[in-house]
Amino acid sequence: MFYLTRMLGKPVVDAAGEIIGEISDIAIATGEVFPRITSLAFLGPEKTPFMLSWRKFVDTLDDDRIQLNAERSALRFSYLQPDEVLLARDLLNKQIVDTQGMKVVRVNDLKLSESRNQLRLLGAEVGVRGILRGIHPMVERVASAALALFGRELSENLIAWNYMDLLERDLSHVRLSVTHKRLHELHPADVADVLEQLGPGQRARVFEHLDNAQAALTVAELEDEFQADLIDDLGDQRASDILEEMDPDDAADIIGDLSYDKAEALLRLMGVNEARTVRSLLGYREKTAGGIMTPEVTTVTEDMSVQEVVSSLREEAAEREGIYYIYVVDKDRRLEGVISLRDLVISEPNVLVTDLLSRDVTTVGPDDDQEFVAETMSKYDLLALPVVDESGRLLGIVTVDDALEVLEEESAEDLAIATGATHERGPLAGLWWWLVRRNAWLLVWGIAFLAFMGIRRPLTDEIVASGEPGPVYGMMLMSWALVLLPLLLRTAEDLSSRTLAELIEDEDEDERPPLGKRLAREGGIGLATAALSALVALGFVMLTTDTVHVVATPFAAATAAASLLTVLIGGMMGDFALRRSAQEKPVSGTGLAITAMLVGSVVYLGLAYAAGTTWAAALVLAGS
Amino acid sequence: MTPATDTRKRMTLFAVLALIGPGIISASAGNDAGGISTYSEAGARYGYSMLWMMLAMTPAFMIVQEMAGRMGAVTGKGFAALIRERFGVRLTFGAMLMLLGSTAATTIAEFAGVAAAMELFGVSRFISVPIAALIVWLLVVRGSFQRVEKVFLALSSVFIAYVVAVFLAGPDWGEVGRALVIPSIVPDRDFIALSIGLTGTTIAPWMQFLLQSNIVDKGTTVREWKLARWDVMIGAVVANLIACAIIITTGTILHPAGIQITGAEDAARALAPLAGPYAEMLFSVGLLSASLLAAAVLPLTSAYAICEAFGWEAGLDSDWSEAPVFNGIYTFVIITSAAIILIPGLNLIAIMLISQVVNGVLLPFLLIFMMIIINDRTIMGRHVNGRFNNALAWMTIVVVIALTAVLMFMTALGID
Repeated sequence: MFYLTRMLGKPVVDAAGEIIGEISDIAIATGEVFPRITSLAFLGPEKTPFMLSWRKFVDTLDDDRIQLNAERSALRFSYLQPDEVLLARDLLNKQIVDTQGMKVVRVNDLKLSESRNQLRLLGAEVGVRGILRGIHPMVERVASAALALFGRELSENLIAWNYMDLLERDLSHVRLSVTHKRLHELHPADVADVLEQLGPGQRARVFEHLDNAQAALTVAELEDEFQADLIDDLGDQRASDILEEMDPDDAADIIGDLSYDKAEALLRLMGVNEARTVRSLLGYREKTAGGIMTPEVTTVTEDMSVQEVVSSLREEAAEREGIYYIYVVDKDRRLEGVISLRDLVISEPNVLVTDLLSRDVTTVGPDDDQEFVAETMSKYDLLALPVVDESGRLLGIVTVDDALEVLEEESAEDLAIATGATHERGPLAGLWWWLVRRNAWLLVWGIAFLAFMGIRRPLTDEIVASGEPGPVYGMMLMSWALVLLPLLLRTAEDLSSRTLAELIEDEDEDERPPLGKRLAREGGIGLATAALSALVALGFVMLTTDTVHVVATPFAAATAAASLLTVLIGGMMGDFALRRSAQEKPVSGTGLAITAMLVGSVVYLGLAYAAGTTWAAALVLAGS
Repeated sequence: MTPATDTRKRMTLFAVLALIGPGIISASAGNDAGGISTYSEAGARYGYSMLWMMLAMTPAFMIVQEMAGRMGAVTGKGFAALIRERFGVRLTFGAMLMLLGSTAATTIAEFAGVAAAMELFGVSRFISVPIAALIVWLLVVRGSFQRVEKVFLALSSVFIAYVVAVFLAGPDWGEVGRALVIPSIVPDRDFIALSIGLTGTTIAPWMQFLLQSNIVDKGTTVREWKLARWDVMIGAVVANLIACAIIITTGTILHPAGIQITGAEDAARALAPLAGPYAEMLFSVGLLSASLLAAAVLPLTSAYAICEAFGWEAGLDSDWSEAPVFNGIYTFVIITSAAIILIPGLNLIAIMLISQVVNGVLLPFLLIFMMIIINDRTIMGRHVNGRFNNALAWMTIVVVIALTAVLMFMTALGID
C-alpha cells in the first residue's frame, strides 16, 4: 500500500547506489479500471525534470526510496505519452467529479497498491484521512488511534479511477476503460446537479464536452438562475444550436430571461421554424397555460385510418417527446377530439379515427392560470392537456412534467408566504422560526425599547432643563405605553395572521368582501380590543401609581384609540396585500406583520405622548 | 469563449458604474470597528504623524487588491483553492490557520465594536453582545443576507461623514500636507505596534479572500477584469481617503487637547463639529452597523475559504447534515468571538487595536503565498506580475515583517 504524498520527494537511487534525483510525479496508463503505473518522473540535479519507464527501470519501491535496476549511464529517458495521466500534476489537490456520488470533490491523496509485481492506482482519497496524512503521517496515526479508543474508525473515502472525471485535464481524446463513467454519460439531471456545484469557469469547460443533444437535456434540468447565465456565456451559435434541440417551452423560458439583444441574436440564428415556435410562445404571459405549453402536438384528422396514423407517427414522433394522446383536428386545426395510444395499438389497422375518437375533451385557454391547469390535470388524471383559443383551435399541449413543476412551485410559494422561509434548514432553524415568526412582537418590542433608551437620556436632559410640565407627562405616558406595547403588537400580529390565512386560501376576487365591509368587520373587533386594552391600561396605572391617578383616563383613551387605529390600518394593509397577491406580485407574510407592528407602535407611543402633553396643558389651564 | 459576434463592452462610464460592487464593498468593509478605532487612535495619539504611512500604503493596497482580483478572474478559482493546488495540504493547513486567526481576531473586534456602540446608548454589553451574536448568526443562517447587507452597508456609509467633518474641523492644511509626504517615526513600542495595526486594518488578510471570491462568483472573465479592476482600485483609494479623513479629524480635534481614546465616546467626539450633541449617536449607529456587517461577512468568508481548500461542502443552502464543517466554522467563530467579549473588565478599545496588529502580523505570510502564485506562469499564464508590482509588493512584505520583528524584539527586551 503506497500513498502518493508519502512517495513524493523520496530519493531515486540507481543500481550503483547513487542518488540521482527526487520523485516528483508518477504517470498511469488509462484504459483499465485500476490503471497501471507506467512512468516515474523525478527531479535531477538543478531541478531538471526526467522521466523513466517504470517497467523497464524500476526495481523496487519501498517506504523511503525507489531503487532502479540500472546505472545512471544505462538509463534511457522517455516522454509523457498522450494517454498517460500524471498523478501529482493532474490529480493531487485538484478538484474532480465523483461520477458515482455525483459530487465535486478534491483529491487529498492517491492510493497505490502492488499486485503481481504491478503497481496500480486504486483510487483517489477524498476524505479527512487524506488531509490528516497530508499535514503529517503522525497526525493521521494519532487521530486514528484516538478514534479507535471510542470504537470508531477513521475511514478512507476512495474514489476509483473508473468513477473519476477530471476537470483540469481534457480526457476526451484519451482511451478510457469501457466501464469508466464520465460526467457526460450520467443522466442529464445528475449532470445538471454537478454543474451547479462547479464554479463558472469549470462549468463552461465541462459543458464543452457535451454534444448539443446532451447539452439541451442538461440545460433543461438546471435551476432557473443557472440556465440563463450558462446560455449567456456560450457563443451565440452554440447557444442557438442547443436551444433548437430543447423543447420549445423550455427554450422560450430561457430566452425570456435573457437580455433583449442576446435573445434576438439567438432567435435569428435558430432555424426559421424553431424560432417561430419559440417566438409565439414568448407572447404568452408567464404562469399561464400559454406560458407552459408546447406547441409541438401530434395531430391527425378524422378521416385517417389507424394504419395511416401509425405511419405518420413513425415519421413525426421521432422528434416528439411525448405522444401520450393524439389529437384529432379539422382542416382549420379546430380540436374535434382525442384518441389515445392504447386505442391505436389495440385497434385493427383499417379502423377509422372517427370511430375511435372521444369527443369529450377537457381543454383550457391560453390565459388560464397555471395552477388551475395543473389542478385540472390532476383532477382528471391527464398526462397532457390541450390548450385551445376562443374558436377552439388547438394551440398546444401542457404536459404532465410541466404540471408537476407548477404544483411544486405553487406549494413552495404558499409555504413561503406562510412561513417566510424558502427552504427548511434543520433543527436550529426552528429557533429562528419560533423567535421571528411566532414571537416577532418580542423583537419589535426589543427594538422599540432600545430606541427609546437611546433617545431618553438626551431628551430627559432637555426636558428637565426647560422645566415645562407637558413633556414630563408626555415622557411618563410614553414609558407606560412602552410597557403595554406588547398588547398592541399582539393585536397587529393576529390581524396579519388572519390576512395570511386568507391569502393562502386564495379566494376568488369576487368572493372577497369589499374594503368597506372588511373595515366594518374589523372595526367591530377593533372596538372590542380597544375596550379591553383600555381596561388593562387603567389597571396598570392603578397598580403602578398606587392611587387612581387622574391621568389614567387619558392614558386609557390613548391606548383604546391606538388599538382601534392599529386594527383599522392593519385591515387596510391586509386588503392591499390581498390585492397585490391577486396580481401575482410577491407578498411577504413577515413583512406584513412587522409593518403592522411598527405602525402600531409609532401610533401608540405618539398618542401616549400627545395625551400626556395635552393633559398637562389642561392641568395648567385648570390650575390657572 | 466569446466569439467576435458578441457586442464588445465599451469602456463607458456607465459600464464602469455597473461594475461597482466587489471592490467598493470589500474596501468599505475595511472601515469596521477595528479600522475606525485604529485610525482614531492614530490621529488622537500621534496627530498627523502617521499620515505618510497611509499615503505610502495606498499604492500597496491597490496592488494587493488588484492581484487578488486578477487571480480570481484568470483562474476562476478562489485564493484558498489556488493555495491548495499550488502548495499542497500541509502549507494550506498553515494558511487556513492564519486566515482563521485573522478572522477570529477581527470578529472579536467587531463584537467589541458592537458592545462599545451600545454602551453609548446605555445598554450593557452583557445584553447587547449576545443579542448581536444571535442576530449575526441568524443573518447568516437565514441567508436573507443580500437584503440586510445592503441595509447595513447603507448605514455604515455614515462614516463618509468623516470626510465632511474633516473640513469642518478646520485643520492646518499645510501641516497635513507636510505630514502626508514627510515620514516621521516615533521610536516607541506603541508607535510600532500601531503601524503594524494600521497596515493590518488597511490591507486585511481576510479582505483578499473576500475580494477574490466575489470576483469568481460573479464569473468575471479576463476581458471583464480590465474594466472591473478600476472598481477594485478606486474602492481601495476611497477607503483610504476615509481612513485619512478619520486620522486628520481626530488629529485636529483630539490630539491637541491631549485626549486619549479610552472608550468610544472619545472617538465619537471627533464628529462633534459635524453633528454637535448628536455626534455620539451618529458614531454609534455607524459603528454598530459596520460591526454587525463585518461580523456576518468575515466568519462566512473564512468558512467558504476553508471548505474550498479542503473540498468540504459549503453553501448557505446546505443545512448541518449536508455541510457540517461549513456551518460549524462560522458558528464557532461567531460564538467564541462574542463569548470572549463577555469576559468582564475587558478594555474594548484595546481589543480592537490588538486585533488589527494580529492582522498586520499575519498579512505578510499570506502575501508571500499570493506572490508565489501570481508569478507562476503555469497558473497565471501571461497574466503574471510585472516588475513594478512585484517590487512594491515585496517591499511591503519586507517592511511589515521587519516591523513585526522589531516589535517582538522590543517586547521581549521590555523596551518601551
